[in-house]
Amino acid sequence: MSSRLVSRSTFSSGAPPEGADLVEWYYEQGFSDGLPVVPPAPATVDAMVEALGGEPERLECRVPPRWGGLTRQVLAVNMVMAGCKPEYAPVVRAALLALCEPAFNLNGVQATTHMACPLLVVNGPLAKAIGMNGGCNAFGSGNRANATIGRAIRLVLLNVGGGWPGDLDKSTLGHPGKYSYAVAENDASPFAPYHVEKGFAAGDSTVFVLAAEAPHSVTNHVANDPQGILDSLCSAMSTYAHNNAVSSGHCAVVLGPEHAATIAKAGWKRLDIRSYLWMYSGNRFRELAFEHRYGKVYNRNLPVWYKRDPDSHIPIVPSPDHIHLFVIGGEAGRFSAFIPGWGHMSAPVLRQIDGSSPGSARCVDGTCFL
Amino acid sequence: MSLESLGIPTAVVITRDFVREAEVQRAALGMSVLAPVVIEHPLSSLTDQEIGARAAQALPGIAGVLLGKAA
Amino acid sequence: MSSIVYDPRGAVSADEKPLAPRLAKLDGIRLGILDNTKWNANKLLRRLRDELGRQHRLLEINYYRKESFSKFADPALIREIAARNDAVVTAIGD
Repeated sequence: MSSRLVSRSTFSSGAPPEGADLVEWYYEQGFSDGLPVVPPAPATVDAMVEALGGEPERLECRVPPRWGGLTRQVLAVNMVMAGCKPEYAPVVRAALLALCEPAFNLNGVQATTHMACPLLVVNGPLAKAIGMNGGCNAFGSGNRANATIGRAIRLVLLNVGGGWPGDLDKSTLGHPGKYSYAVAENDASPFAPYHVEKGFAAGDSTVFVLAAEAPHSVTNHVANDPQGILDSLCSAMSTYAHNNAVSSGHCAVVLGPEHAATIAKAGWKRLDIRSYLWMYSGNRFRELAFEHRYGKVYNRNLPVWYKRDPDSHIPIVPSPDHIHLFVIGGEAGRFSAFIPGWGHMSAPVLRQIDGSSPGSARCVDGTCFL
Repeated sequence: MSLESLGIPTAVVITRDFVREAEVQRAALGMSVLAPVVIEHPLSSLTDQEIGARAAQALPGIAGVLLGKAA
Repeated sequence: MSSIVYDPRGAVSADEKPLAPRLAKLDGIRLGILDNTKWNANKLLRRLRDELGRQHRLLEINYYRKESFSKFADPALIREIAARNDAVVTAIGD
Protein backbone atom coordinates (compact mmCIF):
# COMPACT_ATOMS: atom_id res chain seq x y z
CA MET A 1 0.00 0.00 0.00
CA SER A 2 1.61 3.24 -1.10
CA SER A 3 1.23 6.17 1.24
CA ARG A 4 2.00 9.72 0.30
CA LEU A 5 2.48 12.52 2.78
CA VAL A 6 0.55 15.37 1.24
CA SER A 7 1.76 18.08 3.58
CA ARG A 8 5.08 18.14 5.34
CA SER A 9 6.37 20.05 8.31
CA THR A 10 8.50 22.45 6.33
CA PHE A 11 8.46 26.09 7.19
CA SER A 12 8.29 28.70 4.52
CA SER A 13 11.35 30.52 5.80
CA GLY A 14 13.29 27.83 7.70
CA ALA A 15 13.91 27.71 11.45
CA PRO A 16 14.85 31.15 12.80
CA PRO A 17 18.23 31.85 14.42
CA GLU A 18 18.63 31.77 18.17
CA GLY A 19 17.42 34.97 19.77
CA ALA A 20 15.01 35.78 16.93
CA ASP A 21 11.62 37.29 17.77
CA LEU A 22 9.54 34.11 17.81
CA VAL A 23 6.24 35.95 18.16
CA GLU A 24 6.94 37.56 14.78
CA TRP A 25 8.17 34.27 13.35
CA TYR A 26 4.89 32.46 14.12
CA TYR A 27 3.02 35.39 12.56
CA GLU A 28 5.17 35.15 9.43
CA GLN A 29 4.53 31.41 9.07
CA GLY A 30 0.80 32.08 9.06
CA PHE A 31 0.10 30.17 12.27
CA SER A 32 -1.68 32.98 14.17
CA ASP A 33 -5.37 33.85 14.53
CA GLY A 34 -4.37 37.51 14.25
CA LEU A 35 -3.29 37.88 17.87
CA PRO A 36 0.26 37.18 19.08
CA VAL A 37 0.79 33.54 19.99
CA VAL A 38 2.87 32.21 22.87
CA PRO A 39 5.92 30.55 21.27
CA PRO A 40 5.92 26.90 22.39
CA ALA A 41 9.04 25.54 24.07
CA PRO A 42 10.04 21.97 25.02
CA ALA A 43 9.09 22.41 28.69
CA THR A 44 5.63 23.84 28.01
CA VAL A 45 4.80 21.43 25.20
CA ASP A 46 5.92 18.41 27.24
CA ALA A 47 3.86 19.54 30.22
CA MET A 48 0.81 19.87 27.97
CA VAL A 49 1.36 16.44 26.40
CA GLU A 50 1.62 14.96 29.88
CA ALA A 51 -1.67 16.63 30.85
CA LEU A 52 -3.20 14.91 27.81
CA GLY A 53 -1.96 11.54 29.09
CA GLY A 54 1.44 11.25 27.41
CA GLU A 55 1.93 9.43 24.06
CA PRO A 56 2.65 12.53 21.94
CA GLU A 57 2.11 10.73 18.62
CA ARG A 58 -1.29 9.36 19.56
CA LEU A 59 -3.88 10.57 17.04
CA GLU A 60 -6.96 12.07 18.70
CA CYS A 61 -8.87 12.91 15.51
CA ARG A 62 -8.55 14.44 12.05
CA VAL A 63 -9.83 17.98 11.62
CA PRO A 64 -11.70 18.97 8.47
CA PRO A 65 -11.64 20.36 5.88
CA ARG A 66 -7.89 19.77 5.61
CA TRP A 67 -8.15 16.51 7.60
CA GLY A 68 -4.90 17.32 9.43
CA GLY A 69 -3.92 14.76 12.07
CA LEU A 70 -4.47 16.11 15.59
CA THR A 71 -1.91 14.17 17.59
CA ARG A 72 -1.45 14.95 21.26
CA GLN A 73 1.78 16.75 20.37
CA VAL A 74 0.05 18.95 17.79
CA LEU A 75 -2.82 19.68 20.18
CA ALA A 76 -0.31 20.58 22.89
CA VAL A 77 1.49 22.98 20.56
CA ASN A 78 -1.73 24.81 19.66
CA MET A 79 -2.80 24.96 23.31
CA VAL A 80 0.51 26.47 24.38
CA MET A 81 0.28 28.98 21.54
CA ALA A 82 -3.20 29.93 22.77
CA GLY A 83 -1.93 30.56 26.29
CA CYS A 84 -3.61 27.56 27.94
CA LYS A 85 -2.55 26.00 31.21
CA PRO A 86 -2.07 22.21 31.25
CA GLU A 87 -5.18 21.70 33.42
CA TYR A 88 -7.34 22.96 30.52
CA ALA A 89 -6.17 20.08 28.31
CA PRO A 90 -9.00 17.58 28.97
CA VAL A 91 -11.59 20.27 28.14
CA VAL A 92 -9.97 21.35 24.87
CA ARG A 93 -9.51 17.75 23.76
CA ALA A 94 -13.09 16.80 24.61
CA ALA A 95 -14.34 19.85 22.69
CA LEU A 96 -12.34 18.91 19.58
CA LEU A 97 -13.47 15.29 19.73
CA ALA A 98 -17.06 16.54 19.95
CA LEU A 99 -16.50 18.91 17.00
CA CYS A 100 -15.06 16.07 14.89
CA GLU A 101 -18.12 13.87 15.41
CA PRO A 102 -19.77 13.39 12.00
CA ALA A 103 -23.11 14.69 13.33
CA PHE A 104 -21.57 18.10 14.01
CA ASN A 105 -20.43 18.38 10.39
CA LEU A 106 -17.35 20.46 11.19
CA ASN A 107 -16.43 20.35 7.50
CA GLY A 108 -19.57 22.31 6.68
CA VAL A 109 -19.20 24.69 9.62
CA GLN A 110 -15.60 25.53 8.64
CA ALA A 111 -16.45 26.14 4.99
CA THR A 112 -19.81 27.88 5.14
CA THR A 113 -20.39 31.44 3.96
CA HIS A 114 -22.54 31.91 7.08
CA MET A 115 -20.82 33.39 10.14
CA ALA A 116 -21.46 30.34 12.37
CA CYS A 117 -18.62 29.04 14.47
CA PRO A 118 -18.39 26.55 17.35
CA LEU A 119 -19.72 27.74 20.71
CA LEU A 120 -18.46 25.70 23.67
CA VAL A 121 -20.33 25.45 26.98
CA VAL A 122 -18.69 23.49 29.79
CA ASN A 123 -20.68 21.96 32.65
CA GLY A 124 -19.73 20.11 35.82
CA PRO A 125 -17.09 20.42 38.54
CA LEU A 126 -14.16 20.62 36.12
CA ALA A 127 -15.31 24.01 34.83
CA LYS A 128 -14.97 25.57 38.26
CA ALA A 129 -11.81 23.62 39.10
CA ILE A 130 -9.94 25.12 36.16
CA GLY A 131 -11.31 28.60 36.81
CA MET A 132 -13.77 29.03 33.94
CA ASN A 133 -16.20 31.93 34.14
CA GLY A 134 -19.95 31.38 34.00
CA GLY A 135 -20.75 34.70 35.65
CA CYS A 136 -20.20 38.38 34.92
CA ASN A 137 -18.78 38.89 31.40
CA ALA A 138 -18.70 35.15 30.77
CA PHE A 139 -18.81 35.71 27.00
CA GLY A 140 -15.85 38.04 27.24
CA SER A 141 -13.51 39.13 28.30
CA GLY A 142 -11.05 38.89 31.17
CA ASN A 143 -10.94 35.20 32.08
CA ARG A 144 -7.87 33.16 31.08
CA ALA A 145 -9.60 29.78 30.98
CA ASN A 146 -12.53 30.93 28.82
CA ALA A 147 -10.31 33.00 26.54
CA THR A 148 -7.55 30.47 25.94
CA ILE A 149 -9.72 27.35 25.75
CA GLY A 150 -11.79 29.03 23.05
CA ARG A 151 -8.65 30.28 21.36
CA ALA A 152 -6.98 26.85 21.38
CA ILE A 153 -10.01 25.39 19.62
CA ARG A 154 -9.82 28.14 16.98
CA LEU A 155 -6.06 27.67 16.45
CA VAL A 156 -6.61 23.95 15.87
CA LEU A 157 -9.45 24.69 13.44
CA LEU A 158 -7.10 27.08 11.60
CA ASN A 159 -3.79 25.24 11.69
CA VAL A 160 -4.82 21.59 11.72
CA GLY A 161 -8.19 21.96 10.04
CA GLY A 162 -6.96 24.44 7.46
CA GLY A 163 -9.95 26.76 8.05
CA TRP A 164 -8.14 29.91 6.94
CA PRO A 165 -10.30 32.91 6.07
CA GLY A 166 -10.40 33.58 2.36
CA ASP A 167 -9.03 30.12 1.65
CA LEU A 168 -11.15 27.22 2.93
CA ASP A 169 -13.17 29.35 5.39
CA LYS A 170 -15.59 31.22 3.18
CA SER A 171 -17.49 33.02 5.93
CA THR A 172 -18.68 36.29 4.45
CA LEU A 173 -18.53 38.23 7.72
CA GLY A 174 -17.12 36.02 10.46
CA HIS A 175 -17.88 37.12 14.03
CA PRO A 176 -15.85 37.89 17.17
CA GLY A 177 -16.53 34.38 18.48
CA LYS A 178 -14.03 33.19 15.89
CA TYR A 179 -11.32 34.49 18.21
CA SER A 180 -12.75 32.64 21.21
CA TYR A 181 -16.23 31.42 22.10
CA ALA A 182 -16.11 29.31 25.25
CA VAL A 183 -18.05 29.70 28.50
CA ALA A 184 -19.20 27.76 31.52
CA GLU A 185 -22.76 27.67 32.82
CA ASN A 186 -23.34 29.58 36.05
CA ASP A 187 -23.34 26.96 38.80
CA ALA A 188 -25.41 29.26 41.04
CA SER A 189 -28.32 28.74 38.62
CA PRO A 190 -31.75 28.12 40.24
CA PHE A 191 -32.34 25.33 37.70
CA ALA A 192 -30.62 21.99 37.22
CA PRO A 193 -27.48 22.37 35.10
CA TYR A 194 -27.76 21.79 31.34
CA HIS A 195 -25.92 18.46 31.41
CA VAL A 196 -28.13 17.11 34.18
CA GLU A 197 -31.20 18.05 32.12
CA LYS A 198 -29.72 15.91 29.33
CA GLY A 199 -29.14 12.87 31.54
CA PHE A 200 -25.68 13.26 33.04
CA ALA A 201 -24.95 13.14 36.77
CA ALA A 202 -24.16 16.46 38.45
CA GLY A 203 -20.67 15.19 39.25
CA ASP A 204 -19.91 14.54 35.56
CA SER A 205 -18.15 17.25 33.57
CA THR A 206 -19.21 17.77 29.97
CA VAL A 207 -18.60 19.84 26.85
CA PHE A 208 -21.44 21.05 24.60
CA VAL A 209 -20.68 22.38 21.12
CA LEU A 210 -23.10 24.22 18.83
CA ALA A 211 -22.41 25.95 15.51
CA ALA A 212 -23.59 29.41 16.49
CA GLU A 213 -24.04 33.02 15.47
CA ALA A 214 -23.08 35.79 17.89
CA PRO A 215 -25.28 36.34 20.96
CA HIS A 216 -28.22 38.74 20.52
CA SER A 217 -28.87 40.64 23.73
CA VAL A 218 -32.41 40.55 25.09
CA THR A 219 -33.31 43.34 27.49
CA ASN A 220 -36.26 43.27 29.85
CA HIS A 221 -36.21 45.54 32.87
CA VAL A 222 -39.98 45.70 33.23
CA ALA A 223 -41.53 42.23 33.56
CA ASN A 224 -41.59 40.50 36.93
CA ASP A 225 -43.08 37.24 35.69
CA PRO A 226 -41.90 34.41 33.40
CA GLN A 227 -44.18 35.30 30.48
CA GLY A 228 -42.97 38.89 30.17
CA ILE A 229 -39.33 37.92 30.18
CA LEU A 230 -39.84 35.03 27.80
CA ASP A 231 -41.94 37.20 25.48
CA SER A 232 -38.89 39.43 25.04
CA LEU A 233 -36.83 36.38 24.15
CA CYS A 234 -39.57 35.28 21.74
CA SER A 235 -39.38 38.70 20.13
CA ALA A 236 -35.64 38.28 19.55
CA MET A 237 -36.21 34.81 18.12
CA SER A 238 -39.08 35.79 15.82
CA THR A 239 -37.15 37.36 13.01
CA TYR A 240 -36.57 35.87 9.56
CA ALA A 241 -33.05 37.27 9.52
CA HIS A 242 -31.17 34.61 11.48
CA ASN A 243 -30.29 31.24 10.05
CA ASN A 244 -32.66 29.09 12.11
CA ALA A 245 -35.63 30.89 10.56
CA VAL A 246 -34.77 29.67 7.08
CA SER A 247 -32.52 26.66 7.74
CA SER A 248 -34.12 25.07 10.83
CA GLY A 249 -31.77 23.19 13.21
CA HIS A 250 -30.79 24.03 16.80
CA CYS A 251 -30.28 27.24 18.76
CA ALA A 252 -29.28 28.35 22.25
CA VAL A 253 -31.01 30.58 24.77
CA VAL A 254 -29.08 32.10 27.64
CA LEU A 255 -30.93 33.36 30.71
CA GLY A 256 -29.14 35.94 32.80
CA PRO A 257 -29.34 35.16 36.54
CA GLU A 258 -31.84 37.95 37.36
CA HIS A 259 -34.23 36.70 34.69
CA ALA A 260 -33.63 33.11 35.74
CA ALA A 261 -34.40 33.94 39.39
CA THR A 262 -37.73 35.59 38.46
CA ILE A 263 -38.76 32.61 36.33
CA ALA A 264 -37.68 30.05 38.95
CA LYS A 265 -39.54 31.90 41.70
CA ALA A 266 -42.77 31.36 39.75
CA GLY A 267 -42.11 27.61 39.81
CA TRP A 268 -41.23 27.23 36.13
CA LYS A 269 -38.72 24.57 35.14
CA ARG A 270 -36.41 24.10 32.17
CA LEU A 271 -38.93 22.27 30.00
CA ASP A 272 -41.60 24.90 30.74
CA ILE A 273 -39.24 27.63 29.56
CA ARG A 274 -38.17 25.83 26.38
CA SER A 275 -41.73 24.88 25.55
CA TYR A 276 -43.04 28.44 25.98
CA LEU A 277 -40.25 29.83 23.85
CA TRP A 278 -40.91 27.27 21.14
CA MET A 279 -44.66 27.75 21.10
CA TYR A 280 -44.75 31.56 21.15
CA SER A 281 -41.87 32.36 18.76
CA GLY A 282 -41.95 31.97 15.00
CA ASN A 283 -42.60 33.63 11.66
CA ARG A 284 -45.32 33.50 9.01
CA PHE A 285 -44.43 31.50 5.94
CA ARG A 286 -45.18 34.54 3.73
CA GLU A 287 -42.24 36.34 5.37
CA LEU A 288 -39.83 33.46 4.72
CA ALA A 289 -41.12 33.32 1.13
CA PHE A 290 -40.68 37.09 0.65
CA GLU A 291 -44.33 37.04 -0.46
CA HIS A 292 -43.16 34.87 -3.42
CA ARG A 293 -42.15 38.02 -5.25
CA TYR A 294 -38.83 36.50 -6.37
CA GLY A 295 -40.40 33.25 -7.44
CA LYS A 296 -42.43 30.56 -5.71
CA VAL A 297 -40.67 29.48 -2.50
CA TYR A 298 -41.08 26.08 -0.83
CA ASN A 299 -37.86 25.91 1.22
CA ARG A 300 -36.77 22.30 1.46
CA ASN A 301 -34.55 23.14 4.42
CA LEU A 302 -37.61 23.33 6.62
CA PRO A 303 -39.32 20.12 7.80
CA VAL A 304 -41.84 18.66 5.36
CA TRP A 305 -44.55 18.75 8.02
CA TYR A 306 -44.60 22.57 8.18
CA LYS A 307 -47.55 23.92 6.23
CA ARG A 308 -46.51 26.32 3.48
CA ASP A 309 -49.65 28.47 3.32
CA PRO A 310 -48.87 32.20 3.43
CA ASP A 311 -50.05 32.63 7.01
CA SER A 312 -48.85 29.28 8.32
CA HIS A 313 -46.95 29.60 11.61
CA ILE A 314 -43.35 28.53 11.10
CA PRO A 315 -41.53 27.75 14.37
CA ILE A 316 -37.95 28.96 14.73
CA VAL A 317 -36.78 25.38 15.37
CA PRO A 318 -38.71 22.08 15.02
CA SER A 319 -39.21 21.35 18.75
CA PRO A 320 -38.50 22.64 22.27
CA ASP A 321 -35.63 20.13 22.40
CA HIS A 322 -33.92 22.08 19.62
CA ILE A 323 -33.60 24.99 22.08
CA HIS A 324 -30.55 24.54 24.34
CA LEU A 325 -31.06 26.51 27.53
CA PHE A 326 -28.28 27.81 29.77
CA VAL A 327 -28.09 30.12 32.78
CA ILE A 328 -25.01 32.26 32.33
CA GLY A 329 -23.94 35.71 33.45
CA GLY A 330 -23.47 38.08 36.36
CA GLU A 331 -25.89 38.66 39.21
CA ALA A 332 -26.78 42.20 38.22
CA GLY A 333 -28.63 43.13 35.06
CA ARG A 334 -31.95 42.07 33.57
CA PHE A 335 -30.52 40.70 30.33
CA SER A 336 -30.67 37.38 28.55
CA ALA A 337 -29.55 36.37 25.08
CA PHE A 338 -30.68 34.46 22.03
CA ILE A 339 -27.93 32.64 20.12
CA PRO A 340 -29.09 31.39 16.71
CA GLY A 341 -27.50 28.32 15.21
CA TRP A 342 -26.40 27.49 11.70
CA GLY A 343 -29.24 25.18 10.63
CA HIS A 344 -30.17 21.54 10.20
CA MET A 345 -26.81 20.91 8.49
CA SER A 346 -25.12 20.56 11.89
CA ALA A 347 -26.23 18.84 15.08
CA PRO A 348 -24.85 20.04 18.43
CA VAL A 349 -22.89 17.46 20.41
CA LEU A 350 -22.77 16.91 24.17
CA ARG A 351 -19.86 14.82 25.40
CA GLN A 352 -18.51 13.79 28.76
CA ILE A 353 -15.01 15.10 29.24
CA ASP A 354 -13.32 11.87 30.22
CA GLY A 355 -15.27 10.01 27.52
CA SER A 356 -16.74 7.35 29.73
CA SER A 357 -20.33 6.27 29.22
CA PRO A 358 -22.88 8.35 31.15
CA GLY A 359 -26.15 7.38 32.79
CA SER A 360 -29.51 7.53 31.12
CA ALA A 361 -28.75 10.06 28.38
CA ARG A 362 -29.08 8.91 24.76
CA CYS A 363 -25.35 8.62 24.34
CA VAL A 364 -22.87 6.34 22.61
CA ASP A 365 -19.22 6.11 23.71
CA GLY A 366 -19.59 9.23 25.81
CA THR A 367 -20.92 11.37 22.98
CA CYS A 368 -24.58 12.37 23.02
CA PHE A 369 -26.43 13.34 19.88
CA LEU A 370 -29.12 15.79 20.81
CA MET B 1 -15.56 10.39 -4.60
CA SER B 2 -17.39 7.51 -2.94
CA LEU B 3 -19.15 6.99 -6.26
CA GLU B 4 -15.83 6.94 -8.16
CA SER B 5 -14.54 4.30 -5.72
CA LEU B 6 -17.61 2.22 -6.53
CA GLY B 7 -16.81 2.41 -10.25
CA ILE B 8 -19.18 5.21 -11.29
CA PRO B 9 -17.62 8.14 -13.18
CA THR B 10 -18.84 11.31 -11.49
CA ALA B 11 -18.91 14.90 -12.71
CA VAL B 12 -19.03 17.42 -9.88
CA VAL B 13 -20.11 20.93 -10.79
CA ILE B 14 -18.80 23.64 -8.48
CA THR B 15 -18.71 27.40 -8.57
CA ARG B 16 -15.37 29.11 -8.99
CA ASP B 17 -15.11 30.20 -5.33
CA PHE B 18 -15.03 26.58 -4.21
CA VAL B 19 -12.24 25.36 -6.51
CA ARG B 20 -9.65 25.57 -3.74
CA GLU B 21 -11.79 23.69 -1.23
CA ALA B 22 -12.52 20.94 -3.71
CA GLU B 23 -8.79 20.65 -4.44
CA VAL B 24 -7.89 20.23 -0.75
CA GLN B 25 -10.68 17.75 -0.06
CA ARG B 26 -9.69 15.64 -3.07
CA ALA B 27 -6.02 15.63 -2.01
CA ALA B 28 -6.84 14.73 1.60
CA LEU B 29 -9.21 11.96 0.56
CA GLY B 30 -6.92 10.53 -2.10
CA MET B 31 -8.49 11.55 -5.40
CA SER B 32 -6.54 14.56 -6.57
CA VAL B 33 -6.89 13.63 -10.23
CA LEU B 34 -10.70 13.89 -10.16
CA ALA B 35 -11.33 17.18 -11.94
CA PRO B 36 -14.39 19.22 -11.05
CA VAL B 37 -16.46 21.14 -13.59
CA VAL B 38 -16.19 24.82 -12.72
CA ILE B 39 -18.85 27.43 -13.35
CA GLU B 40 -18.96 31.10 -12.39
CA HIS B 41 -20.02 32.13 -8.88
CA PRO B 42 -22.62 32.85 -7.54
CA LEU B 43 -25.46 30.43 -8.05
CA SER B 44 -28.02 30.96 -5.31
CA SER B 45 -29.13 34.44 -6.30
CA LEU B 46 -29.50 33.90 -10.08
CA THR B 47 -32.55 34.28 -12.30
CA ASP B 48 -33.74 31.32 -14.33
CA GLN B 49 -32.13 32.78 -17.46
CA GLU B 50 -28.77 33.13 -15.70
CA ILE B 51 -29.07 29.54 -14.48
CA GLY B 52 -29.55 28.46 -18.07
CA ALA B 53 -26.29 30.18 -18.97
CA ARG B 54 -24.48 28.36 -16.16
CA ALA B 55 -25.88 25.04 -17.36
CA ALA B 56 -24.58 25.76 -20.86
CA GLN B 57 -21.19 26.58 -19.36
CA ALA B 58 -21.07 23.27 -17.50
CA LEU B 59 -22.09 20.88 -20.26
CA PRO B 60 -18.77 20.54 -22.15
CA GLY B 61 -16.95 20.03 -18.86
CA ILE B 62 -19.36 17.33 -17.76
CA ALA B 63 -18.91 15.42 -21.00
CA GLY B 64 -15.16 15.83 -20.61
CA VAL B 65 -15.06 14.40 -17.10
CA LEU B 66 -17.33 11.46 -17.85
CA LEU B 67 -15.60 10.59 -21.14
CA GLY B 68 -12.08 11.27 -19.89
CA LYS B 69 -11.21 14.06 -22.30
CA ALA B 70 -9.80 17.48 -21.38
CA ALA B 71 -12.79 19.90 -21.28
CA MET C 1 22.30 27.63 16.49
CA SER C 2 18.63 27.98 15.66
CA SER C 3 15.63 28.54 17.88
CA ILE C 4 13.33 25.65 18.64
CA VAL C 5 10.05 26.08 16.81
CA TYR C 6 7.02 23.88 16.36
CA ASP C 7 4.63 23.14 13.53
CA PRO C 8 1.03 23.45 14.75
CA ARG C 9 -0.52 21.96 11.61
CA GLY C 10 -0.30 18.20 11.92
CA ALA C 11 0.30 15.92 8.96
CA VAL C 12 -2.10 15.11 6.17
CA SER C 13 -1.63 11.77 4.53
CA ALA C 14 -3.72 9.96 2.01
CA ASP C 15 -3.30 7.05 -0.33
CA GLU C 16 -4.25 7.96 -3.89
CA LYS C 17 -7.31 5.99 -4.92
CA PRO C 18 -7.90 5.11 -8.55
CA LEU C 19 -10.75 6.76 -10.45
CA ALA C 20 -13.55 4.77 -12.00
CA PRO C 21 -13.08 3.82 -15.64
CA ARG C 22 -14.37 6.53 -17.99
CA LEU C 23 -17.32 6.04 -20.34
CA ALA C 24 -16.85 5.49 -24.07
CA LYS C 25 -19.89 7.62 -24.91
CA LEU C 26 -22.85 9.27 -23.25
CA ASP C 27 -25.52 7.57 -25.41
CA GLY C 28 -27.37 4.62 -23.96
CA ILE C 29 -26.21 5.17 -20.39
CA ARG C 30 -28.16 5.41 -17.16
CA LEU C 31 -27.41 8.88 -15.78
CA GLY C 32 -27.88 9.73 -12.09
CA ILE C 33 -28.34 13.31 -10.94
CA LEU C 34 -27.53 13.90 -7.27
CA ASP C 35 -29.15 17.05 -5.93
CA ASN C 36 -27.48 18.52 -2.85
CA THR C 37 -30.70 20.49 -2.08
CA LYS C 38 -28.79 23.78 -1.81
CA TRP C 39 -30.71 26.80 -3.11
CA ASN C 40 -30.38 26.96 -6.89
CA ALA C 41 -28.38 23.74 -7.27
CA ASN C 42 -31.60 21.86 -7.99
CA LYS C 43 -32.57 24.32 -10.73
CA LEU C 44 -29.11 24.02 -12.30
CA LEU C 45 -29.15 20.24 -12.09
CA ARG C 46 -32.62 20.05 -13.63
CA ARG C 47 -31.43 22.22 -16.54
CA LEU C 48 -28.36 20.02 -16.95
CA ARG C 49 -30.54 16.92 -16.85
CA ASP C 50 -32.85 18.32 -19.52
CA GLU C 51 -29.96 19.43 -21.75
CA LEU C 52 -28.06 16.16 -21.40
CA GLY C 53 -31.29 14.31 -22.16
CA ARG C 54 -31.73 16.46 -25.29
CA GLN C 55 -28.14 16.13 -26.53
CA HIS C 56 -27.67 12.40 -25.88
CA ARG C 57 -29.89 9.33 -26.19
CA LEU C 58 -29.78 8.44 -22.49
CA LEU C 59 -31.25 5.09 -21.50
CA GLU C 60 -32.62 6.51 -18.29
CA ILE C 61 -32.20 9.51 -16.00
CA ASN C 62 -32.52 9.02 -12.25
CA TYR C 63 -32.85 12.05 -9.97
CA TYR C 64 -31.76 11.73 -6.32
CA ARG C 65 -31.90 14.19 -3.43
CA LYS C 66 -29.29 14.24 -0.70
CA GLU C 67 -30.90 14.90 2.68
CA SER C 68 -28.70 17.90 3.49
CA PHE C 69 -26.65 20.16 1.31
CA SER C 70 -23.71 20.13 3.65
CA LYS C 71 -23.32 16.65 5.15
CA PHE C 72 -21.75 13.73 3.33
CA ALA C 73 -24.36 11.73 1.42
CA ASP C 74 -25.84 8.76 3.22
CA PRO C 75 -23.81 5.61 2.33
CA ALA C 76 -26.97 3.65 1.55
CA LEU C 77 -28.01 6.31 -0.98
CA ILE C 78 -24.55 6.20 -2.56
CA ARG C 79 -24.73 2.42 -2.90
CA GLU C 80 -28.17 2.63 -4.50
CA ILE C 81 -27.01 5.30 -6.96
CA ALA C 82 -23.94 3.23 -7.86
CA ALA C 83 -26.04 0.13 -8.46
CA ARG C 84 -28.55 1.79 -10.77
CA ASN C 85 -26.48 4.26 -12.82
CA ASP C 86 -23.48 4.32 -15.15
CA ALA C 87 -22.46 7.93 -14.44
CA VAL C 88 -23.43 10.72 -12.06
CA VAL C 89 -23.62 14.53 -12.21
CA THR C 90 -23.77 16.47 -8.97
CA ALA C 91 -23.07 20.00 -7.72
CA ILE C 92 -21.63 21.52 -4.54
CA GLY C 93 -21.16 25.02 -3.24
CA ASP C 94 -23.45 28.01 -3.20
